[in-house]
Parts: sequence; C-alpha cells; structure tokens
Amino acid sequence: MIDKKITDDIGILILEDPPQNYLQKPEFIPVPELREWIEGNHLKALIISGSGRHFSGGAKLDSIFAMAEVREPMEDRMEKGKELLDYLQDLDIPVAAAISGVCFGGGMEIALACHMRICSENALFAFPETNLGLMPGLGGTFRLGERLSLQDSLKMILGGDMINAEEALLLKVVDTVVKNEEPLAYTLHFLRKITIDRPLKIINYVMRALKNSKRLPAEESMREETRMFCDLARIESNRRKTKTQ
Amino acid sequence: MTNTQYPMHNKTMNTLSFTKTDDIGHLELNQPPANQMTTEFFSEFNELVDELRIMNGLNAIVISSKGRHFSSGADLEELLEQVVKSDEGIHPEMNENWRALSEKNYRSFLFFEETEIPVIAAIRGVCIGSAFELVLSSHFRFCAEDAVLGLPETTFNLMPGLGGIRKIADLCGQAKAIELSLKGNTFGAEEALQTHLVDRIVPRRKVVDFSLAFGRKVMKNYKKQKAPFYLQQIPLDDPFYI
Repeated sequence: MIDKKITDDIGILILEDPPQNYLQKPEFIPVPELREWIEGNHLKALIISGSGRHFSGGAKLDSIFAMAEVREPMEDRMEKGKELLDYLQDLDIPVAAAISGVCFGGGMEIALACHMRICSENALFAFPETNLGLMPGLGGTFRLGERLSLQDSLKMILGGDMINAEEALLLKVVDTVVKNEEPLAYTLHFLRKITIDRPLKIINYVMRALKNSKRLPAEESMREETRMFCDLARIESNRRKTKTQ
Repeated sequence: MTNTQYPMHNKTMNTLSFTKTDDIGHLELNQPPANQMTTEFFSEFNELVDELRIMNGLNAIVISSKGRHFSSGADLEELLEQVVKSDEGIHPEMNENWRALSEKNYRSFLFFEETEIPVIAAIRGVCIGSAFELVLSSHFRFCAEDAVLGLPETTFNLMPGLGGIRKIADLCGQAKAIELSLKGNTFGAEEALQTHLVDRIVPRRKVVDFSLAFGRKVMKNYKKQKAPFYLQQIPLDDPFYI
C-alpha cells in the first residue's frame, strides 16, 4: 500500500493503490515505522506522492461505513490518522506533496499536512465529504482554514466545490504548478537543490525556527532562533579550528 | 527656523547616523561601501534603538545606507572569532557578552516590526543576511533596480538568526521561507517584487527621497494591512499627491 524509496537522502513515500490510490485506513503508514525509516536513514527531506496518474482519491466510502459500524475502533483509527498527519507536519525536515490528478478528501488532508505542495496542471482538489453526508475528519477543516478566507474554505468544505490547479495556486492551496507528469521529478529536483551540502542540523534548525514562528510569540521565537544560531556558530568555529590545526 | 513642535534629535555615531527632520527619522548605515554589521555597529544600533523607543514627535522612520550598497550583513569572521576566544577561555566573559549582544539585536529588530509608526526601508545595491532581516523587520521595502537580496547564512553553515525566516513565511508562505533560507541564494529586485518581498522598485537615485516623502505622508498608528494606497501607482516625482 505504501512504497518507500530513497534518493540523495530524500525519502519518497508513494501511495500505492492505482488508479485512485484510495486510502484503506487513515493511518496509511504507522508512525513508528515512518519515524524509524526517516531517522535511521538520516533523511533530509520527504516527498509524498501517488502512484500513476493520481495523488489519492481519499478514503473509499464503503471502507468508512464498514469502519463506522463499530464505534470505538473507528475513533481510534481516526486518531491514529491524525497523529500521523501531525507527525508529518511537525517533522524537522521539509515535507512536500507532489500531486498529479485527483487529490480528494483524505488525499487533501495529507497534502495539507505537508510544508509545501507542488501539483500538475491537471490536478484537482476537493473535500467531497459533505456531498456524502460526512465532513473532513483529519484536521483538514483546520488546516485549510489556516490558508484560506472563511468564505473560500466554506465553499470547499461545505459546498464540496472542486478546484483546479490554477485556482489552487491563486488561493495559495498549492505553491507551484508544473507540467503534467512532472510533479515528482520537479519536487525531487527542488528538494535536492535546497538540501544538498546542508548538514542535517542546519535543516532541522531552519525548520524548527519556521515552526516556532507560527506557534510562539515573536519575542520567544526570536530568542530560540538566536540560541540555535549561537549553537551553529560554535560548531562552525570549532570546525574551522580543527581544519587549521 | 526651528520647529518647536518637533524637537531636533540628530546623532552621528561611528557606524551610523540618525537625522530627524520634522517628524521623520532617517537612520543611515554609514560605513560605505559594504556597511558591514560589525559588533561595533550592533552596539551603536542598539543604543540608538533604545533612544527611539522613547523619542517624542516621531511619525515615521526611514532606514537606508550611505554609498553603493545597503549592507553585506553581519561580519561573520569577527563573529566566529569571538566564539573561538570565548571557547578557548581567553575571554571567558566574551561568551556571555556575545549572547547578551545577540539578544539585544533581536529586540532591536523587533522594535521596528512592532512600533506603531511606519518604518520604511530604502534599499540600494547589496542587502543580504542580517541586513536583509533588518529590512524585513520594516513595514515597507522600496528597492532600487540594482538591489541584490538574500539570506546566504546556510552557505556558511549558519542560519538566519534575526527573524528573517518568520518574516518571509508571513510575506510569501512557508514554502518560500524554506527555499530561501536553505538554498541561501541571492536574487534581484524583480524577483523580490514578484514574491512580495519588496513593495516597489524605484530608480536608484530616487529611492531614498521617495521613501522619505512617502514616510511624510503616512499617518501615525498606521497599519500596513489597512493600506489605503496603491503603492505601484504613486507618481515617483510627486509622492505628496496621496
């Protein structure tokens, strides 16, 4: 269901159930397994993409209803899905979604948990849950609301409106639009360009500074940044000292 | 003729100068050509900011630099040398001083960001590293067509340490903030305008005067989000029309 690859210290997770790459369960990969893979391989960046023409059509409706028949396990499983998305969002390395074709529901939830989104010209985005008598259940209402005006997020979430790549770029739901077939290659090239020659520690600190700036008051986030800067300065001056000896 | 409503407050230091004309303050980095931000610069800069915090009759601040370039940012060699000295115990007190200094630095940068009067940066030539972070702490950035901007810290195995990552994320999203701070590349005026990192490109010989004139017309307690102006349409020769 998930294919894992590593190229140049960049991990690639492929949602593997073509053509629609439906998600069998909210937690598409167990967090401990993902953590071990990322940390064990000292990955510098992570890409999430779909196999073939599409990113992901989200959850399969019948599997949701099957899951719903037993109340407790469903809530547990949704929680686990949320934990996975929170883990992705909290990672101290850049996480990018490379999106082709459909990116619906649960697929959209995954894409929104990433730090950046690169999509093809033919990509389509939607939260169709309300059309089916449901609602986005993995934090998507919150994550979309952070990016869009209330009006635009209601249009997508309550209206169930689908948007194309052009509209998604305009609404800043995606960061970059590239030619069809190219999202994964472009994203890989982009991440390679920004992480090559950069020690993991610097990548971690930059990501941490970015996340602090959203969660902490300006003063505290600046203090933390200064602390990390001083730490790097110390490492760098030691490195230069050893080099001259 | 002296204006009693707006008391004079001019100051010339080694590395920078401050001139107050009516209610407009003009801070100039004054160590051309590079206007490097040395330890001496930062301590004078922090001293000036402490005075600005309590200065009366100031309704706008313009930041610019003397000479060809805005500033090449912090003096890395000097900075690393200080760390070595403090680690080797030659100047054990240095580490603490240095830390105290860097804490003061970010508080000074925050002052510009949080002050209720508009702060306008006029950028000519190179403006990178901490200098770029300083102009990002301003509310408006007008730059000349020859401007070179960027955060190259990570190419020296360091990171931007004065709020630049946060400001870029605010202005053009976290994807751009990750890209610019990790890649460490520099870019020109046109790209900066397109990504909203600067507000307008103004011909080099006019950018400081334009910023001063703009400052004169912007009101107290002004918040950029409520900007009633169409920045691109203000005539260069007559910003007073607003």
